[in-house]
Amino acid sequence: MSVTTRPLGAPQQSAAAPEPAPPGSAPRMTAARLTARIPRAVWPLLAFVVLFLIGGIVRPNLLSLDSLIATATFAMILSIASFGQTVAVIQAGIDLSVPNTIGFAALAFLTSVGPFGPVGAFLIALAAGVVIGCLNGIIISKLGLTPIVTTIAMNGLLFGVILLSFNFSELTVTPEFVTAITSAKISVFGVQMSAVLPLGLALMLVLQLVLSFTGWGRSLFVVGSAPDTARLAGLPVDRIRISGYALSGMLAAFAGIVIVGFYQQASATMGASYLLSSVAAVVVGGASIFGGRGSMVGTVGGALVLGQVATLVTVLNLGSNIQQLIYGAIILIVISLYGRKSGG
Amino acid sequence: MTAATFSHTAPTGYRRQGFARLRREGALAPILAFVVFFVVYLIINPGLLTRFQLQTAANLVVPLALIALAQLVVVLVGGIDISIGAIMSLCNVVFASQLEHFPVPIALLMAIGAGLACGLFNGILVAYAGLPSIAVTLASAFIIGSIAREVMDRPGGGVTKEIYLATSGELLPFIPISLFWLAVIAVLLWLLLQHTALGRHIYGVGSNMESMKAAGLNARATKLAAFALSGLIVSFGAIMLAGSTVTGDPRSGDPYLLSSIAAVALAGASFAGGKGSIIGAILAACTLGLIGNLLFFGGINSYWQYVISALIIFAVVGIPVIWRKLSFRVKGVSS
Repeated sequence: MSVTTRPLGAPQQSAAAPEPAPPGSAPRMTAARLTARIPRAVWPLLAFVVLFLIGGIVRPNLLSLDSLIATATFAMILSIASFGQTVAVIQAGIDLSVPNTIGFAALAFLTSVGPFGPVGAFLIALAAGVVIGCLNGIIISKLGLTPIVTTIAMNGLLFGVILLSFNFSELTVTPEFVTAITSAKISVFGVQMSAVLPLGLALMLVLQLVLSFTGWGRSLFVVGSAPDTARLAGLPVDRIRISGYALSGMLAAFAGIVIVGFYQQASATMGASYLLSSVAAVVVGGASIFGGRGSMVGTVGGALVLGQVATLVTVLNLGSNIQQLIYGAIILIVISLYGRKSGG
Repeated sequence: MTAATFSHTAPTGYRRQGFARLRREGALAPILAFVVFFVVYLIINPGLLTRFQLQTAANLVVPLALIALAQLVVVLVGGIDISIGAIMSLCNVVFASQLEHFPVPIALLMAIGAGLACGLFNGILVAYAGLPSIAVTLASAFIIGSIAREVMDRPGGGVTKEIYLATSGELLPFIPISLFWLAVIAVLLWLLLQHTALGRHIYGVGSNMESMKAAGLNARATKLAAFALSGLIVSFGAIMLAGSTVTGDPRSGDPYLLSSIAAVALAGASFAGGKGSIIGAILAACTLGLIGNLLFFGGINSYWQYVISALIIFAVVGIPVIWRKLSFRVKGVSS
């Protein structure tokens, strides 16, 4: 699966500075060329493996399938919440309305389960996400507001809507349909795991295929890296942007439903922790914050790295402050490896 | 574009120039919005002009206004500061916790130093390592936030009644002291931005980086200075917040991240840099900060404030865009 992309005119940003290869250093050059050839999504996955092995050295009992599945489950929930963010970042935007889209969708789902049944409620929640995303996209592409401001304002607006329109005391029962696809233990190839893990992996696969192999998916990258070129080439840039944000909103809404199912609770501020961590997972996953680069597999890798750090911090009893500190350090390392804007 | 030509053709009277500058900096819409808002507020609640209400309203608005100014300085050089809430929390807890051990001036200096250090940290990474500000400050939001909770893990600290009176009391009857401090900082910042070389460079870096470099000016040092200045202003805001709430709280800065960006957007500043006004940012912060109060006095569920704030931002920032598009279309037809 081709994960890295070099759309029209995008400068190839390799991790190392482009060094003129002196004659006689052919082997080194080949090595550099090889590393540049490796899809970026491989690096976070590799980093996760290294962290996992380090965990095994520190605490041998961490080197087990159970521990892997526990970390992966946590990471998968963060990944699902970050898939929408990935789409937004690829097209050179950002979606800071993820937290309250999660909250709104989750509460809308729980509220409408009664009258419309689980499937109806599921569709209503996803539709709400699409509407939120569309509004973001229309304001960004038609009014020309920056994505940050638009999605922050949308996040605030949704918070108000959440507080005004839901009766929290009634929302206690999580329908079985949702727990069945999230927190229920199922057996895959004889291994017990929460259903959310295969669900998230399947979603990752589908979304990655869409990004890599459909015209729409490819156009997202073009719009993200060179919007003017895309416009000159006759791509409907505004429509692609709006649809990208619509998908982002829908995925955030889906994340809301998954989070309700997994943690069996919903509140007005349930999405708050995903504001920065969804961006963190996308950045650690190797996406460029300037757009035009990123992948679903990378995002899952980024979430796995963050998840394994959380596991290590918990096992070593370091406290959540140290965990946040390490998150920050990891982001700094990742962006200093390949966050530089060419010429900036 | 039109604003620039306007300033050339306009008679060069001082007031005319000031008006042109406000217009160029995008401050007219937020000023207008504030005036409308203020009139509505006074009609619904004439009690604002009593001493007690003026004081509480000022104490509510001043920290947000200061953080908005800090965000504005970073936005002027084309950056954005995601860590601004975390810096505020850190300065807030440093101030409150050090008051337990040291006299007030030392605690003040330590809080200001913390803000400055955070600003320098972000600034060095953005200006000299060439990293995107949004990613750098995302990382430092995690780092600085964790340091803040390490300094003080729960609300508390040694903020005293005297500090409350010095930051949030009354200077004279009907003049809240917090407004006085805000005015002092705003005027100093205005002098710095409009009347010093550094200030002009800050606007220059944001509006045209290439020309700055071509002119042989040190764009990197300017960016670093802007981030440091921003950190400094955040620390003032954090101290004002600690004074008015009489506590230090490691999460006190969190809500200011989104609202500071919202205020800067409402102020008509350009997130590409180079455009934005101090008075616009302050009035935008006042508008956003007082919506909740207005709804309370109007007998409306105060949860509406979140919806209304967002709609005000969309309207104030969006209407000029629609207006320009419409007038362009009309002109295009007529010519």
